[in-house]
Amino acid sequence: MSVIDLKLLQETKNLERCPFPIPSGWFFVDYSRNLAPGEVRNVFLLDQEWVLFRGEGEDGKPGLTDPYCPHLGAHLGHGGKVVGDNIRCTFHHWEYDPGGWCKKIPYAKIMPPVCKKKPVLRTLPLVEKWGMIWVWYHAQGEAPQWELPSIPEMESDDYVEPREGHWDVNTAIQEVAENGVDFAHIKFLHGEAEIPEAEYSFKDHEYFVSMRGGYIKGHQCGPGLAIYRFHHEDVVATMVSYSVPYTREESKMNMSFTHLKYEEGTKQAMIAKHLVDHAIGEAEGEEGAGFESVDFIVWNNKKYRPNPLLCDGDGPILQYRKWFKQFYPGMEDSDKI
Amino acid sequence: MAEIQVIQRDGSERSIDAPAGEPLMEALRDEDTGVEGTCGGTCSCGTCHVYVDPAWQHRVGAQGEDEEMMLEALAEFVEIRPGSRLACQICMSDELHGLKVEIAPPVE
Repeated sequence: MSVIDLKLLQETKNLERCPFPIPSGWFFVDYSRNLAPGEVRNVFLLDQEWVLFRGEGEDGKPGLTDPYCPHLGAHLGHGGKVVGDNIRCTFHHWEYDPGGWCKKIPYAKIMPPVCKKKPVLRTLPLVEKWGMIWVWYHAQGEAPQWELPSIPEMESDDYVEPREGHWDVNTAIQEVAENGVDFAHIKFLHGEAEIPEAEYSFKDHEYFVSMRGGYIKGHQCGPGLAIYRFHHEDVVATMVSYSVPYTREESKMNMSFTHLKYEEGTKQAMIAKHLVDHAIGEAEGEEGAGFESVDFIVWNNKKYRPNPLLCDGDGPILQYRKWFKQFYPGMEDSDKI
Repeated sequence: MAEIQVIQRDGSERSIDAPAGEPLMEALRDEDTGVEGTCGGTCSCGTCHVYVDPAWQHRVGAQGEDEEMMLEALAEFVEIRPGSRLACQICMSDELHGLKVEIAPPVE
């Protein structure tokens, strides 16, 4: 039995803004169109630098590798070159494929046995889907534990080319997504008329939420992907949200919005546009505000309270946090997150 | 410390001291017997290939998977015998006092 520890509640100096490690899961890296065949590029995400490359030719496969050559530690993204399907280190021309297998050592008579058995260069499991490059990150390097779901709106020509948005936010992605279960803030921060009624369920790596009798239906799939569908009359606007941690305290929020192709000028087209506008910012003629105009001031300045003072009417914040903890393998017993 | 008998590539024989607890490769390399040990003992280069005398083969421990793979690969270049081992995978001990090995030819 316990009550609120007032001393703990008032001692905020030692609170961390982001006590979380990088969570495990699938994360967006870039759009496929932004990585040309034969390209090599250094990227920073998931709290470290990586080398992103794509094999030569139209079917060139992308890879995201650790920067440092397993041989003598040269940086593959500085002077490294794509040769066929592989990235070639500039130092001694060792070549690695997108899976991290050493494919060639131009001067060795015998390939080291370990190179025949295992990938020696650390790479992240990678898939290209929805015109995007996704990688699986796991703190202990374990293989993917689930697959990316199907998103019909991103997989059919019946939908408009997605409208994309990107926002830098100075907090961890757990904090960003927590607003999805913080139903009370929707009235007070976003200025909606009422706290939305909501039903929710957490299952394995997913959670599902339905607000205002199904007006908004959300599906969070791991830490790095959420699909929200906004319904109005017979129109559905879909928001695909794919936030990526850069560092432990900086994240990039990425979103794609789409809906069925409606004929221009029709009521449905107008509703669809309105739903999207509303989700992002302040839509014309509305009191409620989307996340762009109001959420950042909170995210960018708040501290994470592992032991918050909650009241009735707050959403399932603690259930959400317990659910999210599965993405921090090895941190099960931590009381900081 | 164990004293071991080494047949070098030119056929000459000599005895060297091999410290217990270290891989045989280290002593062979440090005593300039022709063993290079380039990879430092990780089964990656195949430059410490030796032929263990038949009388000692069952006393030097078993081969690991990487060592087997390296010996298979070496077979394309040099003679492999039942006593073929990578000296980096033989851990020296006082029980190996008197061990006799021949340095295998280099890969060329």
